[in-house]
This record gives sequence, C-alpha cells and structure tokens, in this order.
Amino acid sequence: MIDRPRTVVQRWLDRSVLALGVLLFVSPAVSVFLWMLSLAFKNEVDNLAYPPVFIPTAPTLANFASVFRENNFLLYFWNSIIVTGVSTAVALLIGVPAGYGIARLKAKKLLLVILIARMTPAISFLIPLFTLFQALGLTGSITPVVITHLVITVPIIVYVVSGYFETLPPELEDAALVDGCSLWQRFRYVALPLARPGITVAAILAFIFSWNNFIFGAVLAGRTTRTLPVAVYNVLTFEQVAWGPLAAAALLVTLPVLVLTMLVQKEIVGGLTAGGVKGG
Amino acid sequence: MARVQLSQIHKKFDKVQVIKGVDIDIASGEFAVFVGPSGCGKSTLLRMIAGLDSPTAGEIVIAERVVNQLPPKERGISMVFQSYALYPHMTVGQNMAFGLKIAGTAKSSIAEKVAAASKILGLDTLLDRLPRQLSGGQRQRVAMGRAMVRNPQVFLFDEPLSNLDAKLRVQMRAEIRALHQRLGTTSIYVTHDQIEAMTMADRIIVLRDGLVEQVGTPVELYDRPVNTFVATFIGSPSMNLLPATMAADGRSVTLDGGASLRLKQALPTMGLRKVVLGVRPEHLHLASDSAAALPVVAQLAEFTGADTQLHCTLHGTQLQAVLRERIGVAAGDSLALTPEQFHLFDAASQQRIETAIC
Repeated sequence: MIDRPRTVVQRWLDRSVLALGVLLFVSPAVSVFLWMLSLAFKNEVDNLAYPPVFIPTAPTLANFASVFRENNFLLYFWNSIIVTGVSTAVALLIGVPAGYGIARLKAKKLLLVILIARMTPAISFLIPLFTLFQALGLTGSITPVVITHLVITVPIIVYVVSGYFETLPPELEDAALVDGCSLWQRFRYVALPLARPGITVAAILAFIFSWNNFIFGAVLAGRTTRTLPVAVYNVLTFEQVAWGPLAAAALLVTLPVLVLTMLVQKEIVGGLTAGGVKGG
Repeated sequence: MARVQLSQIHKKFDKVQVIKGVDIDIASGEFAVFVGPSGCGKSTLLRMIAGLDSPTAGEIVIAERVVNQLPPKERGISMVFQSYALYPHMTVGQNMAFGLKIAGTAKSSIAEKVAAASKILGLDTLLDRLPRQLSGGQRQRVAMGRAMVRNPQVFLFDEPLSNLDAKLRVQMRAEIRALHQRLGTTSIYVTHDQIEAMTMADRIIVLRDGLVEQVGTPVELYDRPVNTFVATFIGSPSMNLLPATMAADGRSVTLDGGASLRLKQALPTMGLRKVVLGVRPEHLHLASDSAAALPVVAQLAEFTGADTQLHCTLHGTQLQAVLRERIGVAAGDSLALTPEQFHLFDAASQQRIETAIC
C-alpha cells in the first residue's frame, strides 16, 4: 500500500467503514446479550408484552431475588467454584511441568495426542465414564464432575504453556545449566517465573471453559452437586418458562466469566508487550 | 587454573559432520582464542567443553580429568554467552549470586564474593537493578561477574562482544584482557573477528569447516600463515593473493601478466610450478626503483588519516595497498609498488611453500 498521507475525510471514511464492519459481525451476539440483560431487569408483564419492550418500564430486581429464593442457587454456585477451581488447580499442577517437558523435548506428537483428547466429542466417552463411576459408587457426588473437567482444563493449560515455554530463549537454560542447576531447579528458578504471563492466561482460559461446561455436569452430577450451567437449564425444564428469572440466572452464570474474559484481554496484551524475556 | 585438552573430537548432528577430528592443547593460564568464519564449529567446540553438548567421539580433558561424562557444574567452568543470557527476572546481585546459591554456598560467603567481583567490574552501584535497566556494556560485565564469582578453573567466552557497538567493543576487549592478566585463569574465547583474536590471544586456533587450520601466536599466524585461508583470514585488510609461476631456475617468480620478483633464496626444485603469491597490503610500498616493481593502475585512494588505502589493479587483478605516504592519486594513474616481503603458496594445495620469507 502506498503511504500517501490520508486526508481528514478519507480517514473518517476508513473509520466508519471499519466500525460498520465490526457492528455487522458483533451485533448478533451483542444483541442477544443485551436482550438477556433487558429480560432480567423487566417484570413479567413487560417480558411477555408484544410489541416487545426493550427498556424496562419499571426496572426490578425481583427476578434475581426469585432465582435465589426458589433454587439453591448459592449451592450450585459453590459447586461450580469447587469443580472449576479444583480442576483448574490440578491441571496447573500437572499441566505446567508437562508443558515444560513438551517444549524442551520438542514432543509435538505428544501435544497432538493431548489435543485429540480435548477435541473428541464428550458424548463418545461419557457413557463409559458414567458406567465406570457407577461401578465405583461415585455417581451423584461431585468427584466425577471434577475428574472429567480435567479433560477440559489439562489440554488447554498444556497447549498454551508449552507454546509459551518455547518462546523462552534456550540460552537462559544453558546459563542455568552452567550455573549448576538440575532440571527441576532450571524449571523452578528460571523457566517458571518467566512463564508467569503464559500460565496466567492458560489458567484463566481453562477456568472459563470449565465454568461454562454443561454436558459433564448434566450427566454425572446429582441434584445437589450440579454446576451452574446445569442449574440454569433446570430452571427451564422444571418450572414454567419464566423468562425473567431465567435471564437473571443466565446473567449470574455469565458474569464471572465475563469479568475474567476482560482480564484475559489485559493479560494477553501484557504478556506480549512486556519484553522482559529477551535473554537479559 | 587448568590445562584443557581436546583429543580427536568429532561431532555429528544427524547426518552432518560438523567437527571432523580436532586436537587442541591449551596450557594452564593461557588465553586461547578459537577463530574462524561462521559455521566452522568454534561455538560447537566451546559448548562441548562446557558440557552443553557432547562429542560424538573423542575426549575432553580439563585439569587432567576426563570430563566427557560430567555435567557443566562439575567441570569447573564458567561461561559468558553472546547474548549475555542474564536472568531477566533477577537483579544484578541475584544474577551473580545464583550459581553460588544453587551450589549451597553460605549466604555470607555469597555476599562477600558478589561484592568482590562487582567491585572489580565496577558494578557495585548496580546490584539492585534488573538487566533491562542496564546498557549493553553493563550487561556484559554482569555476565562476566556471574562467571567470575564461581572461581572457575576455565573461563569460556562465546562471542561476548558481538552485540556491542564498535567503540564499546574496543573498551571491553581491553577490560577482558586486563581481567585475564589479573586473575590468570585459563580462558577460551570464541570469535569470528580476527582483530579480537589478534589483540587478545596468547595463542590463536584458526578453524574452518570443523578442522583446525593452524595454531599459533598472533605473530606466528601473521608472519607464517600455513595456507591461503589463514593468510587471508588474519590481517585486515586481507592479504592480496596473486597467481604466478616459478621461474625454471627457481630464483624468481613471474606473475600472470609479466611482472617478476626475485626470491631472496633460490628454490630450484620448484621450477615452473604454479604458485600463489601473497603480499599483505601494509607490505606494499611506493617503488623507488622500477626494477623490482609491480606496475599498478590506481582505482580509488581512501585517506584514513594515519594512512592511505589504495585500491588498484595489477594486470587486471585487484590489489589493495596501505601506504604510509600521503599521495595525490586520481583514478587511472599509473604507479609502481614494491613488496617489502611476500609469501608463496602452492596453487594446487593452497599450502605454504616453506622458504625464508621473500
């Protein structure tokens, strides 16, 4: 492209076209979200009104109150925290050293195997898993849910972290080797501190995917051990379609992930522009 | 302080033979420089001495111990890397202390050693800074300090000055040399820059394509290069190489083009052999008498202040001369140059023809 100075009008035109394009792509998703927001704060009359009312005539928090009152919402929230928290933590414990090993040994094939496990449709192994947990007498408890969520969290962490470890200059580890470090010391004192941005991003991504997961909780959890996405689904089936409380519940489930997603944005940019990892 | 010996070192990466049988003996306390063009295997050799790579065959002996099976920390070596390889998340002090910390040295002892090394290198005010807050020269000194505190038997330098600007390079060259004179530790220094090799080395090992071309002091390499590769590699500007033929009686050499030069010592057994005449630019002078002279046509004269670098042609062959005299020369002028000394190499083998320097 020729670097001719753009006039003010041309630049304004560029920006407008870009904005229009972005709007076209983003509007379906955003409009659904905005509608959900609107549903949550409107009373039932407004929600069923036709023509549809977008801005609440009398904004209310009654839907949120109903969600907490009629369902054991806090229990489900706590279940989600346990399942996602524990599976992410375990995945970090296994996945970060695994990512390091894969990066250093250049074990591309092993990485592929791990990714295939992630990409395999959950349905295909849920039934055997269910039978297995049933034989162990674990169905209905929260343990099988945590274990199966590892299928989500471990591959993400291994993949992101191994990619990050590969960007660390190998000369740093040569220097650590000359300084007398064993493999674990190299990992602990040199590689790990430098990979912190990558590990943070990986952990947040694993958290998001695990939090949103529906299928494992739906199949393997019991009434008191279900996670939030499953609980929202059950609001739909067990009671009449109460749009207000449904939207409120969906919003509550989405909120933590939304916040984390915004955090991930900052971390990704931060990790890329830190520039601290240049071999000194 | 330790002697380092490499015996019959071979190194293969997959199918590629990188080091093809290298024997080197470095005396205790010596500053040895491995020099050669990119890809000659000098960094590979250094890494094998350090223990970061292992040879496919051959033995590495440090301080009379065979170290092939030993990890770097047990070889008594320290290394300074080309890109410094400082730990970016640690301060200068922590960088220097790291090796000692891993070795389990007492904290008071660590503090003492770091303080001593940082004093010598002028880093005592920078101990709390991170590497990214330092200049290139400061980072290089931290890298040297990190190597020094462990009191190694052998220092290894892998092109440490390549990332510095010209002026800083000259300064750091002198500092490294001064450090060596102060500490007396055996040092192996790898560089592709022949000036660094010439100014810093006790002995130079010239490498090409995984083999040792010549080992000697800077003077030996300059005065008696063993082949045309070493002859043109050492010395800047490079030695001029001119194709020639020995006269039948072995008393003179005739350049392709007609000019002929007498030899100080006749070589009758070499009659009519094709040779390469090598003459260094600084050994060419303006001829006072046209008898033993090379008639050249000037192309360009570069005045550097101390001397004039003359680019010219001799019967179509490019020639470069470095003249002390200030001469007013324009392109196309004819001049006569005479060599103060020259070297003869066999044209087929490119090897030096041993004879008194002509």
